[in-house]
Amino acid sequence: MLIQEELSVQEKLEILSDAAKYDVACTSSGVDRKGKAGALGNTTAAGICHSFSADGRCISLLKILFTNQCIYDCKYCINRCSNDVVRTAFTPEEVCRLTIQFYRRNYIEGLFLSSGVLHSADYTMDLIYQTLKKLREEYHFHGYIHVKAIPGADPVLIEKTGFLADRMSINLELPTADGLKKLAPGKSRSKILTPMKQIQKGIAANRYELMEYEKAPSFVPAGQSTQMIVGATGENDFQMMMVAEALYQNYDLKRVFYSAFVPVNQDSSLPALPGGPPLLREHRLYQADWLMRFYGFQAGELLSEDRPNFNVLLDPKCDWALRHLELFPVEVNKADYYTLLRVPGMGVKSAKRIIAARRNGPLDFDALKKIGVVLKRALYFITCSGRMMYPVKIEEDYISSHLVGEEQRKVWEIGSAGTFRQLSLFDDMNVPALADLGGVRL
Amino acid sequence: MKTVYLCENSVEGILSGVYAAWTSRKGHENVKLELMGDGDTMELFCQYEEVPVNARNADKVVQAIRGKISEEAYIAVYKAALSKERDRGDKIYRFLIYGFHFGAKIVHMLQVKEVFDIFQMCRNIDNETHLLTGFVRFVEMEGDLLVSRIGPKNDVLVLLAPHFMDRLSGESWVIYDENRRKAVLHPAFRPWFLVDLISTEWEERMKKASDEDEYEALFQRFRKSVSIKERTNPVCQRNHMPLRYRAYMPEFSHGLKDS
Repeated sequence: MLIQEELSVQEKLEILSDAAKYDVACTSSGVDRKGKAGALGNTTAAGICHSFSADGRCISLLKILFTNQCIYDCKYCINRCSNDVVRTAFTPEEVCRLTIQFYRRNYIEGLFLSSGVLHSADYTMDLIYQTLKKLREEYHFHGYIHVKAIPGADPVLIEKTGFLADRMSINLELPTADGLKKLAPGKSRSKILTPMKQIQKGIAANRYELMEYEKAPSFVPAGQSTQMIVGATGENDFQMMMVAEALYQNYDLKRVFYSAFVPVNQDSSLPALPGGPPLLREHRLYQADWLMRFYGFQAGELLSEDRPNFNVLLDPKCDWALRHLELFPVEVNKADYYTLLRVPGMGVKSAKRIIAARRNGPLDFDALKKIGVVLKRALYFITCSGRMMYPVKIEEDYISSHLVGEEQRKVWEIGSAGTFRQLSLFDDMNVPALADLGGVRL
Repeated sequence: MKTVYLCENSVEGILSGVYAAWTSRKGHENVKLELMGDGDTMELFCQYEEVPVNARNADKVVQAIRGKISEEAYIAVYKAALSKERDRGDKIYRFLIYGFHFGAKIVHMLQVKEVFDIFQMCRNIDNETHLLTGFVRFVEMEGDLLVSRIGPKNDVLVLLAPHFMDRLSGESWVIYDENRRKAVLHPAFRPWFLVDLISTEWEERMKKASDEDEYEALFQRFRKSVSIKERTNPVCQRNHMPLRYRAYMPEFSHGLKDS
């Protein structure tokens, strides 16, 4: 391992942000905190994106590793110890200065600090703790901090760090124990789940303390998140969703992130993905995750043992609706909020607006459009004052063939991201071949 | 004959116009609000009347909206008055006709066109404000002064200022709206205020400061190194961050695209 000590901050930043880029926990959301006189920064519950990188992903945090030196040899990871890459580490002082100066210029919403495991889990966790302490207490930084808990680190250290951070996460990386054994031999499921449980208990205990003493410092106020890699091992979508659901229910996680596997290492145990990263599959998992968190869906409603993978051609909500046509059409002027939420083309905002607007008189299709309902999708599933928008057959084949036409355009956009050319009347009238959507199973 | 009330392009100006039109008792269909200096062709068979800004009249309208409709409606009207829509004055007037009739529930009645118009303007201005809370870029000048230049479609400065006031309370900063030639000034630890700026002399200084700022170069490097080559997706990037914002962001200063 080549350890470089004498690098400039610029070189370190390049190496240590490049090494952190596969971590998708990029949001700065979850907690609203007002600014404080004399301190720098506040946080916004909705989160703020400060820029977007060339891959279209939001940049809201200074996402860096403390060090890319690591004692583990996880096959999928660019920082695995057997890789021959330049190794370096920041000092706590350097991290603080970068954060403060980037924040003052409004480049970032806060800091995301992860790390390879240097020497030992405790040693690394302590370095992270020292950095956060300095940032909060010496630099009076009041903005958002998301930090990684290092699996296997001393619970006391994790707790002390938790009181300084807004969000903590531990990456599950691979959803099943088998996958973990195969690709991350140094880690085990219990090593990851134990601190996850500890953070959950910390949050719960803190909630209780806050009720008793108003001034108690808050522990990980923006909650806990994790990340799973999609497509590195053989898990199907159903397994992924069940794991995510269990994490939301049993570990109170705020977010589960999904990261399409990008092969950065050559290794015989890693899958070859000739079509590039499984971006469409990642997209479907995010859509389904959204349905679980905001729309009251359960994983078992969306998928099952017999139908373990999402439909490539339809988003999970349309797919669900088509399999439950007996519940449709829904009368927009009468249906309750949760029923409206299950209509394809309607979201949380539009459902709320419908409820508020219809108190003052019936809504027609024109009004729904203004409210923000995507009628292209919704029209097959709703009536306004007893009438459908067009004469529509409530029949699976009929509706799906119409919906797929619209969805396919989007699928094509996701599947062929980055290939841009002028549309041509002759080439583009043909339906794109599904075989081109690498890594996606029907 | 129709009367067109020409009001000054400001929240107070529009509300003064509303007052003048309403109290003229000519009937709602016989009056219209327009903004001064729009350069529109004048309508035939119309009487044009200029309405000077009158703080007392504007305040009367504000009190009426707050008292007889709701605080929420007042916020909507205020925001709509900052909108980029050229006929915002008249749209506000039409909204208020319904508002004074229906009272507080008016803000939810999106099925009414006049209400929807205001809703849409507010949505547009809220979205732009939110995007700018992220896309504003400060350059550090001498004396730790942070300066930013923006070119928004809507007049968002007063909506943007409280966010940065809370966030950067201990810093001195300026946000300059290039399209309207006005700026928000915030001296450290003091309240912010609005000023009209005609002089562009400091734009040169800002450029120089930007060239010398080492953190700007660091951020450019950072932005580049965090994107994943295999996932390149400029359409997605453009959807989230329209090109018009990039002209003001140093990380795109070498052309609007990522190289």
